[in-house]
Amino acid sequence: MLCGECVLIPNKDNDGQVEHIYREKTDKRILRKNPWRDYRLHGTVLILVIIAELIGTQKIPLTGDVAITIMPLIYTIVLGLVFYLAKPITWIQRKQARIAEGAMMLFIGVLIAKLAVSSGQSISLIFDMGPALILQELGHLATILILPVALLLGFKEEAIGMTNSIGREPNVAVVVDKYGFNSPESRGVFAIFIIGTVIGTIFISFLVTFSLSFLPLHPYAFAMASGVGSASMNAAAIGPTLAAFPGLESQIEAFAGFSNLLSFCVGIYIVIFVALPLTERMYKWLEPKIGKDSVVKKEDE
Amino acid sequence: MSELIDEPIDVSTHGIFNWILLLAIFSVITVIGNYVGYKHPIYDSLIGMGILSLITLIGVWMERRLPLNISSIIYISLIGIFIAFPGVPTSETVLYYVSKIELLSIVTVFLAYVGIGIGKSWDEFKALGWKAIIITMLVIASTYFGSAIVAHIILVLTGVPM
Repeated sequence: MLCGECVLIPNKDNDGQVEHIYREKTDKRILRKNPWRDYRLHGTVLILVIIAELIGTQKIPLTGDVAITIMPLIYTIVLGLVFYLAKPITWIQRKQARIAEGAMMLFIGVLIAKLAVSSGQSISLIFDMGPALILQELGHLATILILPVALLLGFKEEAIGMTNSIGREPNVAVVVDKYGFNSPESRGVFAIFIIGTVIGTIFISFLVTFSLSFLPLHPYAFAMASGVGSASMNAAAIGPTLAAFPGLESQIEAFAGFSNLLSFCVGIYIVIFVALPLTERMYKWLEPKIGKDSVVKKEDE
Repeated sequence: MSELIDEPIDVSTHGIFNWILLLAIFSVITVIGNYVGYKHPIYDSLIGMGILSLITLIGVWMERRLPLNISSIIYISLIGIFIAFPGVPTSETVLYYVSKIELLSIVTVFLAYVGIGIGKSWDEFKALGWKAIIITMLVIASTYFGSAIVAHIILVLTGVPM
């Protein structure tokens, strides 16, 4: 099995109650122990934050007018991971990581609250941009275009789980619910989930930085696109966007927050009713044409 | 581990106490970062974080107490939008104090916890091959570009100035 503890799938027969995943994860970590007592964890975070803010935003020029912006949020996430992995640092271990993960589920709330206040402030602007905000949710269907690449790399049914969506917690729950826990589709979505967890935030912040330099899109479009349906990736994507358009902070926060809210409310239904059936259809059509020998070892069934 | 799973979830005073203390720690760290990075006044930022923490607490509490199957993220969003709504009596006070907290200050602290938390998935991550890593990056990129491009087209078609 791919995930060691499988806290992300609380039970195999969750009746479509996808939201419970966050809740159970948080509650197990937070309600039973005294997570605030772990001064090692919080002390380390404080030091990481101070270091990151002191270094501040750095611009590395690539060519004449294109520069990569590296923001404090990148330092904290990378340093956090390094602190966990580095052998000499003995006070950040699995226990701290578990508490951090549980606490993170609570702290998402603060982030969402801040974005919501910005949305409330700009509510009339949000109504004006309603069509763009709603339709851009359908843009997330573009993940299905990656299906042929997955097939060419030799994935079989795993590809359906891998390319139907961005593969965060709610999407994992939907796929497991539909195909069963031990299905190839679920293995695919687990793989995307784990890799996305580890590299997703770092990857998206560089992706956004590059896009801001090279794609001449509307500032609001960048803001709306940052609501990808994962709070931490959303957070990492907003950073460079805010830095790129000084003076538009409150609008960008409003759109990013509202688009993230939409991803949580309607995104999951788009996956269930549109993305998954579409991915399946495309798989049936493309697999005989371009499918390779399976790269995944068949498990005994 | 099993005794953790079998216990019913109950929001005891003990649980709320844990949430409050965690949010307090998070607020203090954020306010310090907010001061170091952006020089916002500490007292005003603390009130701002207090407001955001209270919204979070109410949202998390509602998710567990109300019989509806709605994520706390949605409650928190609705409360936040409502109290900042132009014309609502709370809106001016809320906007004044919350604007003292830079979104990026919150994000920086939040991602420090994320960084430590993802370390836990490192071994599983290493076990997956490079092919799956390529697919993940393409999936994230396509979901981002997909919605950015659709949003851009609609914004241009509806005549929103750049």
